Amino acid sequence: MPSQVVTAHTTAQTIAAERENAVVQAKSLTIDNQVGAGDCEITIQDSFTPSAYVGVPAPGAQLIERFKAVVQAADIITWGEEDLKGIKCLGALLVDSDVIKATCVITVGYEHE
Amino acid sequence: MLELVPKPQFSVVIPPKTLQEGYLVHFDSDWPSTHEAIREKTFRIDAVNQVPYDLPYILPTGAVGTLYRDVDFSNGSGAFQESLYPENLSSLFEVLVGFKPGNYISHWYVPAGKSIHNLEYAQMYPDLTNVKRRYLGARQPKDSPYEDPRIKLYFVKDLAPIIMRLYVLAGVDFEKIVVGLTINKCQMRIIEAPTEEQKLKAKVIRYFEYLRW
Repeated sequence: MPSQVVTAHTTAQTIAAERENAVVQAKSLTIDNQVGAGDCEITIQDSFTPSAYVGVPAPGAQLIERFKAVVQAADIITWGEEDLKGIKCLGALLVDSDVIKATCVITVGYEHE
Repeated sequence: MLELVPKPQFSVVIPPKTLQEGYLVHFDSDWPSTHEAIREKTFRIDAVNQVPYDLPYILPTGAVGTLYRDVDFSNGSGAFQESLYPENLSSLFEVLVGFKPGNYISHWYVPAGKSIHNLEYAQMYPDLTNVKRRYLGARQPKDSPYEDPRIKLYFVKDLAPIIMRLYVLAGVDFEKIVVGLTINKCQMRIIEAPTEEQKLKAKVIRYFEYLRW
């Protein structure tokens, strides 16, 4: 299972790129906010552009929130595969935060299925 | 402990899912005169080549029944044409179609606008705008799973367009539909005077109209 580590940032960061013939399934998520002051609200986003369909030859790009959690200062939370079972991204899986905090570390494990 | 496992009394041989080299195929008399080159003729498969191909689409939910995607398997440069038909008279494409899991259904039309799953009572035809009849004749992903496809199509040159209409069911915002195809390209050689035995052994490929009596 691939994984990636990023720090909290207000610019969404790509964890898993879109693969046309698969969805991205989040398998594990750890948000480590033990160091430094301030809570972090972390969002998993799904970024994709739909295919053409009847009457709409070029649909617009979509950015959909699939998961959101607030981790308080001095806390660390881990979600396992069972907890994230329904978190499926049709396109790219991005991680976004409401604050920039270099000491809030986010680890995401995922699989293309 | 010593055990001698007895010899099995019988074994089961599962035939291959697709046409193989040396197999015989016969196109019956239902085929129209526009397919004179194959109509009522028997062929031997001289070569096969399996070509896998995934067709992915992300579509919005079609709650009101008007949002859907047509997948036209015929050749051309139209927006929804996938150009999967043969270009040679001596080619037969046997296509296995499987679906990855998801909240969607498919309806089938040959040619465009003519469903192959009508019943006999008036208005009993698949209709995406009708909450009940959108499920009439609908094939779901579980009916033909990606790993074990059960829908099989046969394409010959200049066959009328076969249309697969994909529709995302209510309850999700968008869905990714992955249609897994295995295109078994078969090169055919005509048997000018097939024997009765060859005719009996040949797989009969019927024209789609036989589904609509």
